[in-house]
Amino acid sequence: MSYVKLLRVAAKVGRVTRKYPAEGSLVTEYFRGTIEIDPAMCWGCGACALACPPNSLTTKVEGDRIVIEYFIGRCIFCGRCADVCPKEAITITKNFEHASKSLEDLKYRVIHRVSRCSRCGGPVGAEEEVRNVSERAYPVKASLDLCPSCRAELLAEALAKYHPRRSR
Amino acid sequence: MSVSSGTTREAVIEELSRLGAIIEGIERDTLFVTVKRDVLRDVAKSLYNLGAYFRTCVGSDEIQIRGYLALYHIFSFDELGLNVVLRVDIPKLHPSVPSIVTEVPAADWCELEARDMVGIEFTYRPVKRLVLPEDWPEGIYPLRKDFSYDSRPPPKQLPRPETNKEVGLPLGPYHPALHEPEYFEIYGKGETVEDIVYRGFHVHRGIEKLAESRRVTYEDIFYLAERICGICGFVHSCCYALALEKAAGIEVPERAMYVRSVLLEIERIHSHLLWLGVVAHILGYDAGFMHTWRIREKAMVVAEILSGSRKTYGVNTVGGIRFDLDRDRIAKTLNYLKVIKEEFTEFLKILLSVPQIKSRASGTGVLPRSDARALSVVGPVARASGLYRDVRKDYPYLAYSEVSFRVPLYTEGDNLARILVRVDEVFESIEIVRQLLDKIPEGPVRAESREIPPLKKAVAAIEAPRGEDVHFIITGVGRPYRWRVRAPTYQNIPALRAMLRGTPLADAPLTIASIDPCFSCTDRVVVYDRVSGRCVRLKLTDLAGG
Repeated sequence: MSYVKLLRVAAKVGRVTRKYPAEGSLVTEYFRGTIEIDPAMCWGCGACALACPPNSLTTKVEGDRIVIEYFIGRCIFCGRCADVCPKEAITITKNFEHASKSLEDLKYRVIHRVSRCSRCGGPVGAEEEVRNVSERAYPVKASLDLCPSCRAELLAEALAKYHPRRSR
Repeated sequence: MSVSSGTTREAVIEELSRLGAIIEGIERDTLFVTVKRDVLRDVAKSLYNLGAYFRTCVGSDEIQIRGYLALYHIFSFDELGLNVVLRVDIPKLHPSVPSIVTEVPAADWCELEARDMVGIEFTYRPVKRLVLPEDWPEGIYPLRKDFSYDSRPPPKQLPRPETNKEVGLPLGPYHPALHEPEYFEIYGKGETVEDIVYRGFHVHRGIEKLAESRRVTYEDIFYLAERICGICGFVHSCCYALALEKAAGIEVPERAMYVRSVLLEIERIHSHLLWLGVVAHILGYDAGFMHTWRIREKAMVVAEILSGSRKTYGVNTVGGIRFDLDRDRIAKTLNYLKVIKEEFTEFLKILLSVPQIKSRASGTGVLPRSDARALSVVGPVARASGLYRDVRKDYPYLAYSEVSFRVPLYTEGDNLARILVRVDEVFESIEIVRQLLDKIPEGPVRAESREIPPLKKAVAAIEAPRGEDVHFIITGVGRPYRWRVRAPTYQNIPALRAMLRGTPLADAPLTIASIDPCFSCTDRVVVYDRVSGRCVRLKLTDLAGG
């Protein structure tokens, strides 16, 4: 009958569950939850979107704007975006309570103005990023206002000039 | 302690050469060997007779790089800590290869999987579909490189089943509320189990294919691998890391190896406690279930303290780990472990004195040593049947060679033995974590150089809570060319037939659970009474209640 001793264990331990949400959750101080993007710090470079394994962070060009969208519904709380952010604009919070009736509540947007290519008018990147990069890296300034495909074209043309035979 | 002790590395190499196999590469723990199709069966048979276990086989489409389909059979000599990878080249036009199932019964499933996914035909064995659904069109093989990861071929029209016979009407296995559907058909004669048929792979997610696709990089696959299993995700991400780092020759700093080992052991503690609770629940001892899970909760908190997530997610990266542990986290972990050990010791005395637990578990679901050997079963199931197999001892990886621990071994092969193996392992794991955290070296946690050259191969194995987890990798550009995962349950489920045949039906739920098959899977069985021809559908809990 020694298994009756369980009663003693139960009495000693008492109640271990908590009346959530009235009494607060049980997450520890080390918990990794959703992220917060500081729009004042963000350049709009999109490094976070490239690193994000489940594509929870995405970038897209909408007219004159570059939108970085954080959709919490896909987020796996890995925090890789915060690792790669060059401006440390992303902080990891302990927040995990996101129950909502509307999908829109789970989306968070950072909006940047798009910088246009001086040659073809296509999107180059966020204005903020282009300005900051040109301040830091002035030798490449000449091509900073060009979009990637124009840059590639101009480079190809320049190479063709130096190697006229190969271009045939 | 395998069949023929005293095999040496040289003897294996000599035997392989004698049979006409070509040794392509000799590495510290792996032999890469090429064999011709006509001698494959002889080579497999002689390796098996030399005492090798069978790990898995891997079908791979290498038409783009070498013009052949390839089949890799992975054998392992536990005593020597040596993997033998046999490669057979198979021409694209006549993709057929002799099966080794007669010599090595454990190769059954993976051959069928290679047939489904890569389109390799096997001779000398009956074949059927295993992984692909019945309505998948013929001649389309998902793991061929010309098949895009996001294409969805139109389903094949299936003939309508004849309805004049008596047909069982299963509600499962696509039950909306279960996260892991597995499906057992148990054929009974009265109260005795006559046979058992397993139908699985309902939740095949195509992770291996996704890992080859352009959507992911080497770095992303850690997050994919973690999600292979809901309990032992860290095992998969670690095993992928080991395989990748071995293939690329990346030197991982010692501190990172210690942290990885600590987290692997924490995972074992919480997995075994979870399983023990489930066993108590199946045997109708719900108070025991509640208390085991109360103790387990502390292991989950430890995981959160160490990794930021209750499921030890997001820790690994190529060449190490993403963040370091501070003193504070280590101190808290040690405190919690002390409490877990005390509480579990106290509770275990009570649990094992419950008469129902002992009487229902002893002598039921016996897996004899010979069957365990033939099916190359792994983990606690093997150790409860007297096979001394533990990857941590046989192929020391990470920091396991730095700590001392015992591998529990029981010879009874029954459900009680499988319970006791896991109980002992919880205590061993607590000690391992304590030793590791005690002497964890200072230093960096991520390797400086992390270049991954293409077309390198490696096999890595980790002792997961459920047994040996094997990953095989062929590196590619930016992402693996082929990545194969063999989870432990894959090797253990075929052993259920041996355990269940001729035993009372009432023991079936416990026996099925005793291999710890990621448990939520097994909530539904079909009971078919061969004498009356009746088909009854029951929940496992109904069976357990009598």
